Amino acid sequence: MQATKDSFYVALRDRLVAVDPSRTVTLDGATRPAIAVIENEPPTGAPLLCDTFYLHWGNAKLAPLSVGTLMAMDCTISYCTKGSVQNANLDRGRDLASLDNDLLAILSPPQTAKCDYSTGSPVSLGSTIFWTRPVLNAAKSTPPYVGRDVIVTVFFYPEVIQS
Amino acid sequence: MADQGEIIPGSAYAVRRFTDALLRSGGDTEVTIRLSNPSSGDSNSQLGLEPPTASDMPLSPALVKALKPTADGKRQIEAVISATALIAVAKQYQVQDIVNWLRREAQGVVYYDNLMRIDTITVDKFLGTDCLYHITATE
Repeated sequence: MQATKDSFYVALRDRLVAVDPSRTVTLDGATRPAIAVIENEPPTGAPLLCDTFYLHWGNAKLAPLSVGTLMAMDCTISYCTKGSVQNANLDRGRDLASLDNDLLAILSPPQTAKCDYSTGSPVSLGSTIFWTRPVLNAAKSTPPYVGRDVIVTVFFYPEVIQS
Repeated sequence: MADQGEIIPGSAYAVRRFTDALLRSGGDTEVTIRLSNPSSGDSNSQLGLEPPTASDMPLSPALVKALKPTADGKRQIEAVISATALIAVAKQYQVQDIVNWLRREAQGVVYYDNLMRIDTITVDKFLGTDCLYHITATE
């Protein structure tokens, strides 16, 4: 399951670098692509940063109507923006649309190779993971912020043998 | 001569010294805040494989107050820290927004060898100057 989470994150991160190289964020003193997995970050009480995609992993279960051990795991990708101060935050809707566009771009194609990253370098596990089309929930507005949660279900075969 | 009602320049520092003296009178306690060092930003740190290194920042004068435990029985404390001490350390890190810095970089407050996660940070200001930082933390 961890390999699925890691492979999904790395695929989206690498695609973000290609799609929008300027979308970076400084987290823990390091500048990196503006995408992070909540459970991999230090548990500080700091609020989430604007203009950054945050991945939250949710339920995992046997995929419905599947034969074999195919599993499905929900991933919620949340992000928000407040626009720019120069434009009196009036461009926050446009900035949200730009984030939406980047996310749709990095989620396509909806598959990637599954690798084990536990040793620090990717080791192919010989299978792929794939995911559903994203569901963009209604934008949430908390002035000056506007943000959105997007849900994707990721399908994978677990690394353990199930009886 | 200052007009009536005008604040005498530098008087805020007198208030800060007064609050420092009050903290010292409570036993001159030292509080340690653990700060994350900048991460390498590589894949291993992004995947949670490489724990961030940290530095301990001892701060004095300060007071520690044990608060009522949380509903699930976890210990909770409030550390009251001198702004003089905290500002001096923040200057070394070239930080101006101390609250934001602590919320982003601090792993927590070290209390009897336990690292307690920071919940809230508030600042007491007198005459426009930061005098005391109140940090609540939960184990």
